[in-house]
Amino acid sequence: MSAGLADLLHDAAVLHRFVDFIEEYCKEQERSQTYADASGLFFQYVEKLAAGVKQELGKEIERATRFPKRLPLLRSNIWTLKNYLRLLHALIKPAADAHTLTIPAPLVDLASQQLQRVERMKNSSIVILLTSELMYFQRPHTDIKDQARIVESFIPKASFPPKLGFIELPYSQGPSFFTNLAIYHEIGHFVYEELSNSDPLHPDMAALKSAVVRSVRKALGNGAKDPEAFAIAVRIIENWIQEIFCDLFAIRLVGPAFSFAFVEILGMLGFLSQNATLKFNPTHPAAACRFAEHVNLLRDDLWWNAIANVDADQKKLLERLAKLPRSSYKFYLDEKTLGPQRLVQVFLDVVVPAIRKLVRQVTPENATAVKRFENARSSIEDCLRVGVVPHTPTAGAPDPVSVINSAFCFYLTSLPKVVKQFEGVKAENDVAVHSLWTRRLEMWTMKAIEDAQMQDRFRRIKGAVL
Amino acid sequence: MTSMDLQDRAQYLSLALFSQKVVSALMEYVDENKSARLKPSLGEALESLLHAKHPSVSSRQRVAAFNSYEHLRTLEEVWSARDRGKAIRMIRAVIRAPKSPKTKAVADELIHLFSELQNQALWNFEQPKPVSQRVMQRLCRLA
Repeated sequence: MSAGLADLLHDAAVLHRFVDFIEEYCKEQERSQTYADASGLFFQYVEKLAAGVKQELGKEIERATRFPKRLPLLRSNIWTLKNYLRLLHALIKPAADAHTLTIPAPLVDLASQQLQRVERMKNSSIVILLTSELMYFQRPHTDIKDQARIVESFIPKASFPPKLGFIELPYSQGPSFFTNLAIYHEIGHFVYEELSNSDPLHPDMAALKSAVVRSVRKALGNGAKDPEAFAIAVRIIENWIQEIFCDLFAIRLVGPAFSFAFVEILGMLGFLSQNATLKFNPTHPAAACRFAEHVNLLRDDLWWNAIANVDADQKKLLERLAKLPRSSYKFYLDEKTLGPQRLVQVFLDVVVPAIRKLVRQVTPENATAVKRFENARSSIEDCLRVGVVPHTPTAGAPDPVSVINSAFCFYLTSLPKVVKQFEGVKAENDVAVHSLWTRRLEMWTMKAIEDAQMQDRFRRIKGAVL
Repeated sequence: MTSMDLQDRAQYLSLALFSQKVVSALMEYVDENKSARLKPSLGEALESLLHAKHPSVSSRQRVAAFNSYEHLRTLEEVWSARDRGKAIRMIRAVIRAPKSPKTKAVADELIHLFSELQNQALWNFEQPKPVSQRVMQRLCRLA
């Protein structure tokens, strides 16, 4: 055997062992755990791919014996395939860890159901991953899908499931509820990617893309002819678009509770200092700019009126940051280096109006959600005040969006009173007791959502109103 | 927020896989006289190379490669402007006359060009570099 062939055989055997392991690992997870939404579909894809790769490796060796001059190319091919599996490898373990005992499954189910009502997202599904970072992520899937499509041309039996999104939660926040509302923002990234890649483009997405080209050309002038500078400017604007789109998308689906959750998360991460809130960077628009968009949308959708009597610091912060003048926003490339300010200007003038329009067009109208919240809020809060799962005596479980927003308002304004009522005056300043009651409040909220889902499923099956 | 570790590098891997697809189709054609995958693969490559000359985002979803900073950067690293022109001419020649005996030699040269691109993309995937300071400075000057 030639040295080149021996090297190729060695590489192929290493890859064979690798895929063999992940195939068995996925099968074992499916046998031993229960998963929300689409994790099973993802594991099945990996299993089929692994089986196909093992077959393909045999063909590559056979090819190498027939055409020895191609040995270096065939080694590169194995290397490329191995790297694709490496990308999947990074998803498999976090997906396996995210079984129903470690994530807020009712919230994931609810978000997944709501996603079906978003334009062009019917039959889409979500794989939840648990990350070691204290941050929520959406794992961009366009590259993986593009790669999977090419890999499918070599391994035809392995088709990547269509409309599959990957959302990452910090493992420490798995059992929480309120901060996990951030998954709606991450689902927004998934929706944005799907809309960006749909063919033909949604008309409002096409308008947004045109606005990006117009704005970059306007900002760069003749410099727009420089392909690399143009590509980087487009990427920066695209990054900003996605963050604003996802915030507004989340608000359209769950209302002001998302804004409150977002304030909590940024506060937890220390991103709410006066200077930080005004800074755009290459990946994110300034928090003040984002909050201005939150408040605008909440006002337009009448949520702001519905929470007029909520006297919470989080709401005041939203209002204060939203009022800061646009001229105070600054774009920094890193900690110290000022970036091209014209990009911010064209983004706000040309691009943001197109984002607002796109979000409105693709998400369901929510006027009835606001009304339902206004009607149900006091009875939900009454339940929470006496320590029981929110329910209505006559109409069954209240709708989940009302439960989420009422519970969040209650958490922000009334938790100290509940602590005092149940635990006595001595517990008023006890951090551990506050933490415990927050946890209880979250569990009641989550149970109310689960009840509503059960009832909804029952109605659909029976085809009758309870 | 989007995860930044493997995600940035994934673009390089996409380019490596794209190059592999082109190389595999060309190898099948040169070594085994099979041309079923030749036209679709080369057609995508041609369209992508032509698109790289005139950057825009409106047609992003229609081209298979050279539509991102990472792809363009790798292309710049491996192929000179002359190489790109040569690749375009060679792809056209293969698509135009796949049965001509001279075309296999042209296809072999294309295999060499695309495998260089694949290897550089794999290298960049392993050793990703941040956006070049030169490009950032250019952007600041232009905007």
